[in-house]
Amino acid sequence: MTIAMVDGEGVSFRQRAGRWWPVVVLAPSLLASFVYVVVFTLWTLYISLSNSGLLPSYGFVGLENYASLWANRRWNIAYNNLFFFSAFYILGSMAVGLLLAILIDQRVKGEALWRTIFLYPLAVSFIVTGTVWSWLYNPADGVQMLVRSLGWESFSFALASDRNTAIYAVIITGIWQSSGFAMALFLAGLRSVDPDLVKAAQIDGASAFRTYRKVILPTIAPIFLAVAVVQIQFAIKTFDLVAALTRGGPGVSTTFPAIYVYDLMFQRGQIGEGAAAAMMMLAALAVVLVPYSFFVVWRRRRESRHG
Amino acid sequence: MADLSLARVADPEAAAAGRRFLAGRIAIYGILGVFALIYLAPLVVVVLNSFREQPEIARNGLINLPRSFTLEAWSSAWGSYCIGGTCEGMKRNFLNSLAMTIPATIISTLLGALNGYVLSKWRFRGSEALFTLMLLGVFMPGQIALMPWAFVLGKLGLTNSTYGLVLVHVIQGISFTTLFCRNYYVSIPDDLIKAARIDGAGFWRIFRKIVLPLSPPILIVTVIWQFTGIWNEYLFGVVFTSGREQPITAALVALTAGGTTARTYDVMSAAVLIGALPPLLVYFFGGKYFVRGLTQGAIK
Amino acid sequence: MLKTALAVTITYAALVGAASAEPKTNILHQWATGSDAAAIAKLGEMFTAAGGTWEQTSIAGHTANTLAKLRADVVAGNAPPAVQLKGPEIAEWNETGMTANLDDLAAAEGWEKVVAPELLPVMKPAGHWVAAPMNIHRINWLWSSPKVLQEAGVAEVPKTWAEFNAACDKVVAAGKICIAHSTADWTDSTVFEVVVYGQDIDLYKKAFVEGDVEAMRSEGMVKALTQLRKMTSEYMDPGMVGRDWDTMSHLVGRGEAAFHIMGDWTIGLLTAGGFKEGTDYVCSQAPTDWGKPGFILNSDSVVFFTQKDQDYIDGQQLLAKTILSPEFQTVFNQAKGSIPARLDVDLSQGFNPCQQLSQKDLQASIEAGTLVRSMAHNMTIPQKYRGAIMDTVTEFVNTPSMSPEDGANAMADAVEAQM
Repeated sequence: MTIAMVDGEGVSFRQRAGRWWPVVVLAPSLLASFVYVVVFTLWTLYISLSNSGLLPSYGFVGLENYASLWANRRWNIAYNNLFFFSAFYILGSMAVGLLLAILIDQRVKGEALWRTIFLYPLAVSFIVTGTVWSWLYNPADGVQMLVRSLGWESFSFALASDRNTAIYAVIITGIWQSSGFAMALFLAGLRSVDPDLVKAAQIDGASAFRTYRKVILPTIAPIFLAVAVVQIQFAIKTFDLVAALTRGGPGVSTTFPAIYVYDLMFQRGQIGEGAAAAMMMLAALAVVLVPYSFFVVWRRRRESRHG
Repeated sequence: MADLSLARVADPEAAAAGRRFLAGRIAIYGILGVFALIYLAPLVVVVLNSFREQPEIARNGLINLPRSFTLEAWSSAWGSYCIGGTCEGMKRNFLNSLAMTIPATIISTLLGALNGYVLSKWRFRGSEALFTLMLLGVFMPGQIALMPWAFVLGKLGLTNSTYGLVLVHVIQGISFTTLFCRNYYVSIPDDLIKAARIDGAGFWRIFRKIVLPLSPPILIVTVIWQFTGIWNEYLFGVVFTSGREQPITAALVALTAGGTTARTYDVMSAAVLIGALPPLLVYFFGGKYFVRGLTQGAIK
Repeated sequence: MLKTALAVTITYAALVGAASAEPKTNILHQWATGSDAAAIAKLGEMFTAAGGTWEQTSIAGHTANTLAKLRADVVAGNAPPAVQLKGPEIAEWNETGMTANLDDLAAAEGWEKVVAPELLPVMKPAGHWVAAPMNIHRINWLWSSPKVLQEAGVAEVPKTWAEFNAACDKVVAAGKICIAHSTADWTDSTVFEVVVYGQDIDLYKKAFVEGDVEAMRSEGMVKALTQLRKMTSEYMDPGMVGRDWDTMSHLVGRGEAAFHIMGDWTIGLLTAGGFKEGTDYVCSQAPTDWGKPGFILNSDSVVFFTQKDQDYIDGQQLLAKTILSPEFQTVFNQAKGSIPARLDVDLSQGFNPCQQLSQKDLQASIEAGTLVRSMAHNMTIPQKYRGAIMDTVTEFVNTPSMSPEDGANAMADAVEAQM
């Protein structure tokens, strides 16, 4: 389907003027997006190669900032954390989201209520989430105190206070907040599966488990991808949650790239190195995004050829 | 849809099947119930604490049944708690956030609808590439954009104003709203548009008469998405405002960052709830459209 | 005499000039809650009373938020008229050439003669006044619980680190926490710099004031880290993780812990918790092994950026004048636990005994040549080095398996990586 669809001799003035409307309508958004995506990124790239300190400046220093960045322990911890966190967070939210979606899809009573319960954390800001969960994790005030006051004196729940486990506290909280979104997407997907396909499988005598595995889940495969992509961008941007939950601690054990970028750029007045760290975040995104966008474009092409 | 557990087979096996069905139901509700408890726990804790008295919280711990009841914390958080040297609670921050979030949500949703309409029904050479470009905006980390935005807003004379923040949120939101709407509009049959054009309808008329009336589900999705995202944003809200214009998230951080006195969990709880209320309400009333809107194509 | 008369005339002229225009200000700071906010609100009251129009932008939480706001405003081309900034940051921003010059006002008001000498190089980094100091905080304080010490059989407050360890052994044997602590980069670093300073003042100056990497790798640093490890693993409780910094001192007040090592804002926190000096807690200089009065200094100050609008320029003059007035220095510091940046303010009325001791020790340490500025509180080396050191210290505190040697090397490496 293209604009040229009704092109021809007898086109009225209105229609000819109308031909430009799509471009006119799109132009401001495009310009803004271009500035936001391309210009801002190129600016950051240049700054990452500059000697910017307290304020942006434009003296070229090559890859110095990158070398200094990778020589830093805390950055290395942050970058490793990102991959560790992303893997567990994404798989975790998908697993929980899928489980909940399948359960809700079993014609349960009060579906709207269940859905609301699982979806509401999504409405809550990371600041609120982080604050409230940090209360629960706090050994002196939270879950540990509750269980101990009930009589189990040796009970220990100090996930966020141990440098080896604090990252799991962040992961669990992250899953709590975003698995509702995964659930909504999966539920939407399950609802869009052709009922005849399922009926056919049932008539063939397939068990419920088998029907899901062999028939339903494969047809909603694109949704897994959509969920993953949305979660990945959440993961890479993770900032507020950690800032409110653990402040990057204990020690530097839950430092994330976004927090480190922020520290470098604003607290420590190393804008050049901060920009280099930001470019590394974008690189991590690109690893995921470039193949994905090729896939999307390819699918669109196919779609529009057939459509 | 998939009515898998209802395997109504012939008589001899009916009893066994019935038992299996019952066991299945119990398992389903059991698992859902456990998850619901975990999901609701933080909310319940906060709600209860907002009605308790601080000394009682200090004595019995954060997670406990209330043994006192007061609305003091709510009125204090709303109107009289001291934040940043003024003792006016978070009322003004709340109104500031509304004044910023509502226009930004409406404008970015409208732009998203128009863009989505063009990109799905008026495609032209290169429009797919442009769409991909806009899509990349979804992934920009805020820390990268902060400094360039400051420069741009400075040039436009919009620093330290709500207009500047609205502009920032609109532009950052376009990618999401366009993505949602474009994917939704793709599922509107092209024949419908074709017929309208043969009848002489133009770009705007088709949008108004055909596309817009079909849009409510997806518009609700984008409104929910934008409203919560903008309402909950902290960094830009603090950096691009000044003094009395600060948004609610700034007040929340100030309150929860602790002061020089022992933490007032009662006021903090009430503040957390006040700060979360608008997006919660939006989800509460829009929740069912959210799944429906997603079902009808936003996920493609 | 003539000079004074002249100064009075100039001040008067400045005031009259100020009155005819409309002095305005909008101060950017990070004191959003509690007694900090109350203290800054006092400044607002006095500024308003002097005829100014007061506005403030307070940004809570991490200092980075305040600095992000400052940078964004500067990049956008409208630098704020007044910002709360500290130590080396004053010099760094001064180098950008955007700070306002207060020399005339300083001369008229005679700041040079009354402000603590150690603050002068900080407030006038390139020879010109660009900042107004609000207070002097002392970092090397030891807050003790007389009750716990008595129960544990510790006769008197320890004066050296050896005495401190001996006292802690007794306290721990008596089943109490020895050091009340809440781990975070700045609290860990505060304790650590007090240890380094108390053990070896020259090492402190080399490593933390001059930023000498070899000093960080030295034997002395290993020794200090060994002491820190002893303190974190034997004398602090596991509850130090996740405890709120604003209530950690209450452990001493309540008689659950013997000691607390922290700056003098602790007075405000303890007072807010309802604890009394003398009975619930006592203050003394943190241990030193070199037997002289010592003082680690921290100071809050306000920096002024060049403005175009005359109202704001007048506002800067009025604000700076107000900040350094004896009245404000008194009211502000009584609320905050610190002592005035002016040495000519009498502390005998309305100040806590600890604050009076602080002023006395400040003078004594100036005479003994032991006064230093605080690294942990951002008064010495640039943020990038300070950040690298603090990262290492807090990692060391939270990683029991990290040896003091590894800690010292990691610190030096982290700083070197920033050079």
